[in-house]
Amino acid sequence: MSGSHFIGPIAPHPAFVQPGPAFLFFHRPSNNDTQRRQLFNRTSSKHSKMSRYTIKDNTNCLNTTNSITVQNNLTIADDRFQLLTWLSPLDPGLRHWDIQERRVKDVGEWLIGTEEFRRWCGLSGEGKSDKAVLFCYGNPGVGKTFIR
Amino acid sequence: MFIERSETVLTSGDDSSLVVDTLYDQTWGHSAGVTCFYFDFAARKEQSATNVLGSLLKQMVSGTGKIAEEIRQTLREQKEAPGGRRPQLVHIVKMLQLITSSQPTYICIDALDECTVVERLRLFDSLKEILERSPCARVFVTARPHIRDEIEKRLAGRVTSVSVGPTRDDIVGYLRARLSEDETPDAMDEVLEAEILENIPENISQMWVEKILRMPSYIVR
Repeated sequence: MSGSHFIGPIAPHPAFVQPGPAFLFFHRPSNNDTQRRQLFNRTSSKHSKMSRYTIKDNTNCLNTTNSITVQNNLTIADDRFQLLTWLSPLDPGLRHWDIQERRVKDVGEWLIGTEEFRRWCGLSGEGKSDKAVLFCYGNPGVGKTFIR
Repeated sequence: MFIERSETVLTSGDDSSLVVDTLYDQTWGHSAGVTCFYFDFAARKEQSATNVLGSLLKQMVSGTGKIAEEIRQTLREQKEAPGGRRPQLVHIVKMLQLITSSQPTYICIDALDECTVVERLRLFDSLKEILERSPCARVFVTARPHIRDEIEKRLAGRVTSVSVGPTRDDIVGYLRARLSEDETPDAMDEVLEAEILENIPENISQMWVEKILRMPSYIVR
């Protein structure tokens, strides 16, 4: 794992880094949600640990090559992490996983199958809709219960 | 444009999450980006237009592409400017325009009604600015029905509205499932069950279905 690829809690675990959309910090849906979450948690805790080390390392004299290498990696990682945190403190990643895990299979699939959706996302081959916004509205409550 | 659909039950959260995952699958291997944001009433103070759009931008610059690197550099400069200023909405919108006009981008926003009115209007104006610059940008929004007029007015001419909600069959199906989980099955008989399945879907609004079904079964009776 290269420290420079670490961008904070929203970064995919390196094990999941693979070719895909230009940017998406959520992982490809699969049956491995639990494993993924474990990896995510591990990544998060690793990061907090790394941050602590950074503070500690800055106040201590580093005298081994290994430690210096680690510190360099952390400096890059923390720079990115701080930059992204500065940009916005909000992190919808966990919420996404939470919903993804609780979602009932096939619920809502009909929406994906509609011509309106396919035209909106431009994947129907019939040309993209000139309407860039797809707005789905409904009352809250019932659906939430249905997926419990 | 308006279509009515009610084949199954969705909440905004499921809806958005499913859409996000579907888009992710569909754009696999293509040069496209998928971002999302979930509003939450309890966190509405932090969920300002600036923070929300900042979060979307954050997701976009988390990529490792060339553009992302340029944007990161701009952000660094702003962050390190004298006075240590906070990110400004106008800059965030500009950067979002830059990214979304250079590659297809999907922005999914869930439960928009849980955002404060002031911030929601700011968000609409910002989205409008982004869409004007970026023909390939796509925005997916879920919310309660009362937002419909607002979004169709603010993003006039750009919105396709779809109604989602449970059908009577969905409610009956759900009731059957919950009744089968009844912790006091002895208190239930066929007549009572038939009565529940007949009356509740007829007489109840969607909101109340959930409220009543969350209660222990003896209160329902």
